[in-house]
Amino acid sequence: MIINGVTIEETFAEAFPMKATRLIITAHNAKWAMISAQAFTGFATSVIACGCEAGIERELDGSETPDGRPGVAVLIFAMGGKGLAKQVETRSGQCVLTSPTSALFSGLDGEKEMALGQNLRYFGDGFQISKMIDGKRYWRIPVMDGEFLTQEKTGVAAAVGGGNFLVLAESQGQALVACEAAIEEMRKIPNVIMPFPGGVVRSGSKVGSKYKALNASTNDAFCPTLKGQTNSELPPECESVMEIVIDGLTKEDIDTAMKVGIQAVCDLGAAQGIRRISAGNYGGKLGPFHFHLQEIMA
Amino acid sequence: MSKLSFSLKAAPKQRIDCSPLTPDNLADKSLADIAAIELVTGNQTVRVDALFTITAGDIDAIQFESSDSKLDFIGRNMTFGSISVAGDVGAYLGIFMEGGELIVNGNTGIYTGCEMKGGQIKVQGNAGDFVGGARPGRRNGMTGGTVIVTGNTGARTGDHMRRGQILIEGNAGDYCGSRMISGTIAVLGDCGAHLGYAMKRGTILLTQMPSRGITANFNDCGSHTLAFLPLMFTSFKKLDSQFAKVEAFSRVQRYAGDLAGIGMGEVLVKI
Repeated sequence: MIINGVTIEETFAEAFPMKATRLIITAHNAKWAMISAQAFTGFATSVIACGCEAGIERELDGSETPDGRPGVAVLIFAMGGKGLAKQVETRSGQCVLTSPTSALFSGLDGEKEMALGQNLRYFGDGFQISKMIDGKRYWRIPVMDGEFLTQEKTGVAAAVGGGNFLVLAESQGQALVACEAAIEEMRKIPNVIMPFPGGVVRSGSKVGSKYKALNASTNDAFCPTLKGQTNSELPPECESVMEIVIDGLTKEDIDTAMKVGIQAVCDLGAAQGIRRISAGNYGGKLGPFHFHLQEIMA
Repeated sequence: MSKLSFSLKAAPKQRIDCSPLTPDNLADKSLADIAAIELVTGNQTVRVDALFTITAGDIDAIQFESSDSKLDFIGRNMTFGSISVAGDVGAYLGIFMEGGELIVNGNTGIYTGCEMKGGQIKVQGNAGDFVGGARPGRRNGMTGGTVIVTGNTGARTGDHMRRGQILIEGNAGDYCGSRMISGTIAVLGDCGAHLGYAMKRGTILLTQMPSRGITANFNDCGSHTLAFLPLMFTSFKKLDSQFAKVEAFSRVQRYAGDLAGIGMGEVLVKI
């Protein structure tokens, strides 16, 4: 398959089941809601070392938030419910509770729930106040700038993590421009995040390493400087590869995000130095979710 | 389908325990079965059809016509459906109620919503003492649900209240929120003496400073913008009540008490 001179390889991205929740962070104004959300989603690019993958889904105006203030919706993913609960608790406690004027709400209703402010309330040292409003429990925790309001629980959803595609370009600059265009379009899609810096990762990994202590290492087959040293997947004219990783609440959400992202890259086309679109997988043996590039773009 | 209705044949001389006449208890019963139910009145039991004229209808929607202040325990233990009452009712309206809706177009006696767990009671009139309270000797009053009173309430509203909300469109009597453990009482009118007496936790939300002021055992914590109030007012919007029309506010003067006890309760007054 070739779109605008860009070859869509006959391969697939392989993704894994994860657990996820959506949180709504509000504040006195949009600036401080975003600061808090950025702190919450910081150091959350990959479960490999961060324990979770998190990102900003979108900004919300006052009409979309529980307390009528500007807010930000964030999605956070982890490999299991316990790991997710731990990450939500520590990040909420250190990055949202501490952020001036913030409040924290669940943005996801689910049959399964986990703690949100349930344990943060103890920061109130006995002065915390519980309020049941419309069947949901909230905690009012006295803090130095007033009160920190947080919902007690948030829903947990079965989700999908690790959808991806690779952009093979003639130069580093062209790969970056293409990925930026893709991310701009993909951020319009609900229920997905691209957790890496700016949504783009330049150090895609393969499973395993020559070093026993490591369970992942550089994806040498896609490293352009190793074209003559390893079993390279790259054509001679390709000088740079960048990857976009997508986590979503459902497989369909990732399908949609991949489609608009790849399309945005292809719109730049071969004329802008984009040669191929590929994807990372492990032979289909590890992850139950397969995203076949040509099917998505058909 | 019209409502199943009970209309008193004559003003009762003794109090009548109406607790069997709920949608839960009447489900799957024929009109004859319902007529044969024995109600306790005074020191005897009397068939329902000896006291009421019964009109067949939807058992999930029960109506008491020409009610009387001697009808006690209406809606006891009900979990679903609705009961509407035309006229006054007696004590213990909606005691132990877990769900459904109770509407009284009249006044209620003492212990309205006593130890209720869920559902909604609306009194379009005045309510007696101990709204949402606990029975004598019991330590927990209402633990859920909503009581709306369009008129005034008697003394000790929310006594021992643990959860839920009591919304008073008129005035609250003396000792409002006494021994309150948690939950919310909101009052659009005035409050009587000893507001929040022995209150442990919970919130009394007032739209105006009580004419008697705040009691001495509550300390002024200053004026604040509280983020939970807009959420609470949003939840009021769906109620058939004056509270749905109150313009949401989050600026309040906060008073903490009762400092003669643990002092974790609060009276919030709109500023």
